[in-house]
Amino acid sequence: MTLTHRTYLVVVLLVAAWCGGILLAPALSGSMPGVSSALYACYEPICHQIDARSFHSDGGKLAVCARCSSIYFTFLLALIAYPLFRRLSEQSLPSRFWIVVAIGPMVVDVTLNFLGLHGSTLLTRAVSGGLFGLIVPWYIIPVLVEAVSQLRSQLLSRGGLFYARKAQ
Amino acid sequence: MLEKPSKLRIALISGTVIGAVSSIPGISLINCCCCAGVWLGGVLALYLYKKQLTEEMPQLESSDALMLGLMAGVIGAFTATIINVLILFTLGPVEAELVKSIAEKVLDRLVEQGSMTTDMVDLMKEQIDQSIRDAGNLSNIFGSLFIALIVYPIFTILGALLGFAIFRRKTPPPTTVSP
Repeated sequence: MTLTHRTYLVVVLLVAAWCGGILLAPALSGSMPGVSSALYACYEPICHQIDARSFHSDGGKLAVCARCSSIYFTFLLALIAYPLFRRLSEQSLPSRFWIVVAIGPMVVDVTLNFLGLHGSTLLTRAVSGGLFGLIVPWYIIPVLVEAVSQLRSQLLSRGGLFYARKAQ
Repeated sequence: MLEKPSKLRIALISGTVIGAVSSIPGISLINCCCCAGVWLGGVLALYLYKKQLTEEMPQLESSDALMLGLMAGVIGAFTATIINVLILFTLGPVEAELVKSIAEKVLDRLVEQGSMTTDMVDLMKEQIDQSIRDAGNLSNIFGSLFIALIVYPIFTILGALLGFAIFRRKTPPPTTVSP
């Protein structure tokens, strides 16, 4: 397995664990309330966790709101689908236009809601968040794979220098 | 060719911004939207670093973005905790109650004007209450530092990598990753 594949696999596993925690928090509320509370506490600094703005599962709200849930789950979906559409070693990035497409609807939804001009609903939050999560991995994966490869090369060259100096 | 500028200075600036945004009650509400304040801090770090690079220096690399994000996230986590503790210890219980009552009046006025929804205001009030309740509790301080040290670097790295994708040169030289 190449470094590129290992990097990709680690990212998929980390994101899957992150999404698993979101689902486990309500699922464990009955059988293991302590673990469930700890999971909710872990996600608390990054999300408001308002009940009315969250999806529900097993009779409890998910550990993050509907917008955040959509972002993370579509992020995971896009990550899993990534190798089906692009080679992992492919370094070219999509046009910046798609970043605007990814962020635009979410910014518009949040801003209009804040200004009281439009009331965002579970659907608008889920769709705008989901769009962001679907598009972002196509930018993150090529840059991350390249970054890990560069760091490895830098570390190897430093290690080589260290051993060369030691041998002198 | 000149060497690249130090990442530490930029990481300190962006980490401080992340810490301030994440710890000041009210402003910290931005983090309720998927840690937006933190990952925007990662984008800021990348932007500031890119601005410092001149033509005589090597090109910005994706590994720079990764390291910048990591450093800004760790510094941001410590800064946020320090600012939180400073706010709580400086204000004290009496002053904190005073600030709370003023903040609540302002928030109620915003609801009357229609600028904010009641659930957002309730959330901000809860944040202020939580800050006062957590005052001086060491286990809470270390607990939040522990979570911040895990969560902040993840989001700042994502922000910096996204920033790299946004601020990259339009025609980058073709590169391939060695297996």
